[in-house]
Parts: sequence; C-alpha cells; structure tokens
Amino acid sequence: MSYYDIDSILTDAEKIPCTFQLDVPDLGYLDNTPTQPLKSGTKVGLPLWLAEMLAIANTGDVEGKSFVSFDLPRALGNDVLQALKADPRAVPLRDQSAHFYALATRMMELSEEQELPAVLRRTFVTRASEIALHARKVGGVGHSKGKGAAEEGSNLGIGGAGDEFLRGLDEWERNLFRKAHDGAKAGKEWMEGVKKH
Amino acid sequence: MALPLPPGLTHAEVAFLAEMELVTVVPRQRLESIDLLAGKTPPLRPPHRADLPLWLALLLKKQRRANIVPPPWLHPSSLSALIHRETKEHPTAFSDPPPPPARADPSRPGIAHRQDAYNNSTDTPLSAPFRPSCTADAPAGYLPYHWQEVAEALLAHAGDDVAAAAASSSSSSSSSSAVGEVRGLLRDLVEVRAAKMRSSTAALEGFGGGLMSLRGVGALELAESRAFVLAVVDGVRKIGASVEAARREEEEEAREEEDEGPAGRGESDEEMGI
Repeated sequence: MSYYDIDSILTDAEKIPCTFQLDVPDLGYLDNTPTQPLKSGTKVGLPLWLAEMLAIANTGDVEGKSFVSFDLPRALGNDVLQALKADPRAVPLRDQSAHFYALATRMMELSEEQELPAVLRRTFVTRASEIALHARKVGGVGHSKGKGAAEEGSNLGIGGAGDEFLRGLDEWERNLFRKAHDGAKAGKEWMEGVKKH
Repeated sequence: MALPLPPGLTHAEVAFLAEMELVTVVPRQRLESIDLLAGKTPPLRPPHRADLPLWLALLLKKQRRANIVPPPWLHPSSLSALIHRETKEHPTAFSDPPPPPARADPSRPGIAHRQDAYNNSTDTPLSAPFRPSCTADAPAGYLPYHWQEVAEALLAHAGDDVAAAAASSSSSSSSSSAVGEVRGLLRDLVEVRAAKMRSSTAALEGFGGGLMSLRGVGALELAESRAFVLAVVDGVRKIGASVEAARREEEEEAREEEDEGPAGRGESDEEMGI
C-alpha cells in the first residue's frame, strides 16, 4: 500500500462501529449532545484510521483500558459471512463496501477472527474465475457490435445475466476484471491483425 | 508509471519472437545459403526440404518461392486428439509440452535415451525457443511453446499448404473446408485451455496448498492471462498476509522457547512476575 494509493485512503475512511470505554469531555457532538461529555459505552461509527488509533493508543488508565473497542463492520458481519459461505458468487460485495477486501484485510490485522481469512480466500478465488469468464464474454459482446447478428446474439444472453454480478464487484475485483478484459481484448486485436501483415 | 505497458510481453512481441521458430519448407527455386545473425540458412535445392526461420519462410511463401510444410501437430487428427486429451483424459491439467528429443538405444531395443548436451557431443538445444518444435519432424500431439502464434501465422499466410496437408489424409475434399476445420479445432483448443486457466485459480483456495501449475501453457496464453493471474495471486497473498504474520510470530516464539535453556526460562518467569 503506497502513501498515495487512493484506494487505501478511501479504505481508511470506512466507518467502523466503536464503543467508547471512557468518558471523554467535549466530544459530545459525536453523539448529537454537544453540551455534555461523551459517556463511556456510547456507540459511535468512526472512520477506520481514527478507530485504529484510539483502540491502540495508551490512555494512561490504571486498568489498561483503551479509548474505544470496536466491532467488525456490518460488511464483515455474520450475515454476510454466512451468505458468502453458502455461495460466494451470489453476494454483491459492492453493496457491503466498495473496498470490501481492503477493509477486510485491515480488519484482520486488527482483530483475531479465526474464520474470516478462510472464507474470504475462498470467496476471492471463486469469484475470480467467474470474473475472468465474464471479462472474456463481455469483450465478445462489445466487439461484435456491427458484426453478424448471430455472433452478437450468442453472447448477449451471458452478458445480460452477468450485469448484476459485475455491478457487485468491489475495487479489487474490478481491477481483476479490467486486467482479464485487457488481456482478452489484446488477444482478440492481435488475432484480427495477423491477416493484415 | 513511466511505461504504460503491462508487465511481460505483449501479443505482438510474443508473435515477433515466434517468428524465430524453424519451420520446414519445400522450395520451388534455388537459393544459396544466407548469412544471418542467427547463423547460416541451409541452401535451398528445389525438391529437398529445408528448415528455415518462420519469418523467412513466410517471406518466400508470399513471393511464391516456397511451400511451407505445416508441423504435424497442426493436423486435424492431432488437434482433435489434443482436444480429447484436454477435455476427457486430463480435465484439470494442461497437456504436456513436447518431450525432449530422444534417441533409441541400439544396444537395448525398446529403450530410448534423452538427448542432452552433457553426454552428447552434438549440442542439442533443449529449451523451448531453440528447439525445432514446429518443423515437419516435430512430434504430433504435443503443443510447443509458440503453438498459437505459429498456427495463426500459417493459417493466415499459408492456408493452402495447411489445407493440403490436412486434406491429404482426411475426408474433406475442398481446401477451404480443411482450413475451416483446422481453424475450428484451434478455436476449441484455445477456449478449452482458457477455461482451464480460469478454473486453475480455484487451486489457490486452501491455505498453503495453493499452487497453479502452468506447465505446458503457450507463450500467447501467458501473455493474455499474465496480468489476471498475477492479480489473483497477489490478492490471495494480501488476504493471507495477516494469518501468515500470526503464524510466523508463533513459530518465532516456539523457536525462542526451544533455544532458551532452563536459565533463560527462569528469566522469563521473573518478567511474568512483574
């Protein structure tokens, strides 16, 4: 992750549900009560970069409490994980978070979730082969415009059904799609160019 | 981001490299040996076959000075056998690359030895681009490294020669249908192998057990899916990074505990006490 990586910056801005462990004066406006101090036990959604800092920071408290404790965001919640276990291809990950995998890897660094890595790995790998398939087919549809109607028709069904799946891709998967598509497109272009030389 | 090109070679570059492959031609005119950077070409004497680099062979073919003998693996029967092998016999693996050149052992019949540069005085090249894997002597039923490029080039520029070789033994009479047959079989083969490339990502599912074998994959196929495969492997690495770090730490701790003798353990106990 580079310093200027825009996706990494956007991942940092994802909201994480946090619970304050201590009373904090003058932070009441986070909980819509500007005049009062923020009570301990208040649940606030904080961006990842802030939550990470507050969870790790040393408060000087005798009991060793940190400012906040955080839960997994809803995108990585139990519902989503169960759905992913059932069928990775049926879950539109983009609806959960546009940076689903980036967020998940950051959360895995912070929390010791046993199940999460295995589920994510299976999801990523299963969806990757599906993405590659769509990348090839979509290229076919885009390319055959203005050509024979039969060729266009043969690909249209797959392209149409894939639209919903492709809308549910998160940023990592879009990147995968772009790469697979570029490869297939370059192959097609070369194939058409062979005859000219 | 100085260079906008993706890592690896583009299709055009791969196809350019493939033009170095040797193919067999039947010359129609005499041509003396040409002194090229890669070595001298054999002198062409009309009825005798000779091996020439693909680019030169295509040039002579366009000038109608030679006919190209398509490699045996481009024959429809070889291609359909390959498709059968790829789909039915080994549905998960790519078919093997051509075997290294072997020579029968005269003292022990039925046994052949691999020819290699170490125990043979004639230096036989073993690596892919320098082996004559696209000449008429190449084994049928194996796809060499540059199979797709050579096949496309031959079909585009020497279609009649491919058709003549295909029609000589198959039932199809007209040359255009023979070219169509070869072309169709090649398309099938490309599709089958592309599907395999996609599904091979599933092998990365288990932790530690992820391994994609790309043995026997052609240069053009690599150029096409290099970026995708790299991105998948990189994604899996990122997802597994935290688990990997935790595992490393555990191992490190276990090793430290082993290294520390009884004295060392006493120290750590004291630390725990504080």
